[in-house]
Amino acid sequence: MRPRTVVMEITLLEAAHLADLVRQFRDLLGETPTSTPPADPALARLVPDAYADDAEASRQFRDLTAADLLARRDEDAQTVLADLPSVAPPDDENRSLQTMSIVLSPERVEAWLRTLAALRLVLASRLDIHSEDDHDDDDPRFGIYEWLGYRLEGLIQAADGAR
Amino acid sequence: MSVLATPDIREDEDLRQTVDPDRPWQTVVWNDPVNLMSYVVRVLRTYFGYSREKATRLMLAVHNEGHAVVAEGPREQMELHAQAMHDYGLWATIRKAGL
Repeated sequence: MRPRTVVMEITLLEAAHLADLVRQFRDLLGETPTSTPPADPALARLVPDAYADDAEASRQFRDLTAADLLARRDEDAQTVLADLPSVAPPDDENRSLQTMSIVLSPERVEAWLRTLAALRLVLASRLDIHSEDDHDDDDPRFGIYEWLGYRLEGLIQAADGAR
Repeated sequence: MSVLATPDIREDEDLRQTVDPDRPWQTVVWNDPVNLMSYVVRVLRTYFGYSREKATRLMLAVHNEGHAVVAEGPREQMELHAQAMHDYGLWATIRKAGL
């Protein structure tokens, strides 16, 4: 698969919301797990058991890999944040719906893909999503979850050259 | 991941491989309701270098049967693969191949 540079068009409003989510994600990663597996189910999902039937082997694996893995997550998140404007979305509605272009080199695409996927995993944990049909129209967080999926799907298609 | 190979583990591993060279270890990816099918295919293509056809077949096996073996080989290598899958947010485990 040939690495591709991807140009993403995103509204200033979306960019601001995404930056906010990624900052929250970094805060979560910064809460160093004090227990293995992490007590927070969202963090635990990011460092899952590596051995389905062997708790001790899973513990050893997590002890050796979890800190590095979460550090790489944070690096990815920082990469994404660096591509996003650091200012709040404009109050003016017309301006907030203006689009900006984000040019992503192949390496940055990978960090973006991993981060969008991880944000969905964390949200799914918070929303208690256990099947693809779980949904609650009254909870706006499902809208964010689905929007992340839409953005992730678009990025995958663009990176794969499907369009 | 040579840090994983404490002397004890390495002895165990050598013993197992000597006694039973025909049963490799496996990296297994499990179904989850969150990761997009296109994302799973992309991860398998990017990381393992699998063709679109093979990656799609494995993704569908994960989706329809709940899990799929995505790689086989020495334990240390499977642990590296599992760690990489975790980096991408896929739910992966390691196991000894069944008889």
